[in-house]
Amino acid sequence: MKTLCYLLYIALLPLTAFQLPERQQAPERKLRLVFHHQLGKERLETGKTVRNILGDSISIEKFKYYISNISLTNTAGKQVKLPAQYFLVDENEPASKTISLSIPNMQIGSIGFLLGVDSIRNVSGIQTGALDPMKGMFWTWNSGYIMAKLEGTAEALLTPGHRFTYHVGGFRTGMNTARYIELSLPPTNGSVQEIHITADINQWFKSSSEIKIAETPVCHSPGELAMKLADNYQTMFSIHSIR
Amino acid sequence: MKISKHSWILLLIVFTGTGWIVTDNRYFKPKPVAFKVPKGWPQPVYDFSKNPLTEEGISLGKKLFYDGRLSKDGNFSCGSCHQQFGAFNTYDHSLSHGYNNSLTTRNAPGLFNLAWQKEFMWDGGINHLDLQPLAPITAENEMAETIENVITKLKADKEYRKLFKAAFGDETINTQRLGKAISQFVLQLVSSNSKYDRVKRGEASFILPEKLGYEIFQQKCVSCHTEPMFTDYSYRNTGLSLDPVLKDPGRMRITNNPKDSLKFKVPSLRNVAVTFPFGHDGRFFSLMNVFEHYRKNMVVSSTTDSLLARKLVLSNYEIGQLTAFLFTLTDSSFLKDPRFAPPRTGTNTNPPADIHQ
Repeated sequence: MKTLCYLLYIALLPLTAFQLPERQQAPERKLRLVFHHQLGKERLETGKTVRNILGDSISIEKFKYYISNISLTNTAGKQVKLPAQYFLVDENEPASKTISLSIPNMQIGSIGFLLGVDSIRNVSGIQTGALDPMKGMFWTWNSGYIMAKLEGTAEALLTPGHRFTYHVGGFRTGMNTARYIELSLPPTNGSVQEIHITADINQWFKSSSEIKIAETPVCHSPGELAMKLADNYQTMFSIHSIR
Repeated sequence: MKISKHSWILLLIVFTGTGWIVTDNRYFKPKPVAFKVPKGWPQPVYDFSKNPLTEEGISLGKKLFYDGRLSKDGNFSCGSCHQQFGAFNTYDHSLSHGYNNSLTTRNAPGLFNLAWQKEFMWDGGINHLDLQPLAPITAENEMAETIENVITKLKADKEYRKLFKAAFGDETINTQRLGKAISQFVLQLVSSNSKYDRVKRGEASFILPEKLGYEIFQQKCVSCHTEPMFTDYSYRNTGLSLDPVLKDPGRMRITNNPKDSLKFKVPSLRNVAVTFPFGHDGRFFSLMNVFEHYRKNMVVSSTTDSLLARKLVLSNYEIGQLTAFLFTLTDSSFLKDPRFAPPRTGTNTNPPADIHQ
């Protein structure tokens, strides 16, 4: 009988072995990033005709971009890189505009992230989740991610359907459109639970260079125009508020 | 009494044990398949550790390769433009037929020895084998489908759910697994048993014209068509004039660098006797056309390869011997290997389907 109990114990041992709880990491808490899409001071409304900063009358239909490589710097200047995660923020998917993160307990001084997808993920075959090529943010004929996409119509355009389409991508040296963004938080005594970030589409059209829709309504490959758009959109983010 | 008590406990142990084994997928692992590198060949560049070959993965990949449902109207599988009897090119077609009576803009290359290839397409625009199928699937003049629709169709098919589970451990069907499975199949397409290979292994010997042709080949062709792959995978402008309709800039389309204008990937010459027509747009219908191009018709421009700056001097005699040698690169066992044949064609003894009917 004793032997049998022993055997039973042996037989059941593996069950318990694989059900041990995961070891606790360093103390963690939640942080939410909330993105607010705007055109100047106005909240973005897809399908609504508005004037952009250059005075072009436009209507926006799609606006999406990748956020990755998020890092936080505490008020003493120490940087913490969060685990590799990739998020596709999409104006037409309201839930995607809020990103929930698990972060170590810290007093946040600034937040950094990559607008786009780092080059390693551009050369490592097919990815899953937000990076699944099924999301329509991947060029199949010239491997690489579309870092950010802005599409819409402008009455004055002489393109089919009066459409403008900016698919900005490219990861090779000299054509890399991923942009690192660093935003400082306003000083606060409390612990920050939510960071609200404004993305101003006006910056796509006028920042380090002017992009006139009538002159360049289409960007569908890595290159000079994509680089200009990327240099412009890297200035589109600012801190809206913290909570 | 005592015995029956023991049996109950034993039975309990057996039940617990089997229950545990059944719920734990690790005990139903797909069967691993080793990738054999032919003797004297370099190590493959494909990272097998990220996509370990298994019998189940390969057979799923083969089913996907030959499944027309990967296209919008169900008519175009990978195999419809990559035919085994043409070393997986589109046999006897300069350009291939796509959805809704469209034509492709480039010649479908033969598929073999892909584990040694880093970049794909004539312009090298695709940087990973797993990604390659996504281009023809989504191209409007090829399979004209969206990745999303393909995944939806596969998910709706009970058989596929079973096969994905057998190959990858659970029923998840996504783009990554689609690409990995197709890769597992096409990685099997190793062509290494031509007469040339048998000569190299000491199992056969060249007849005189083949031997003379091999010597000429080593003087005039081998710097780009490097042995044993018969390509160095570089991009070169070999003096093909710009087609006024296709206006294909080649490698420059990917790099945006004017120095890459009209450069295309050096194709492998393995199985060259069955992969006609030749050239990125299939403009050469025979080897003779190619030789005539190199010795007479080349358009030498600023980006033309320096090795061809004065075209390629070839005598009629040399062309004859070279042709004899190039025919030794045909791997007939590869062209007829039943492992690669379309499903339901058995040992592939049926005549090739005539797609013009």
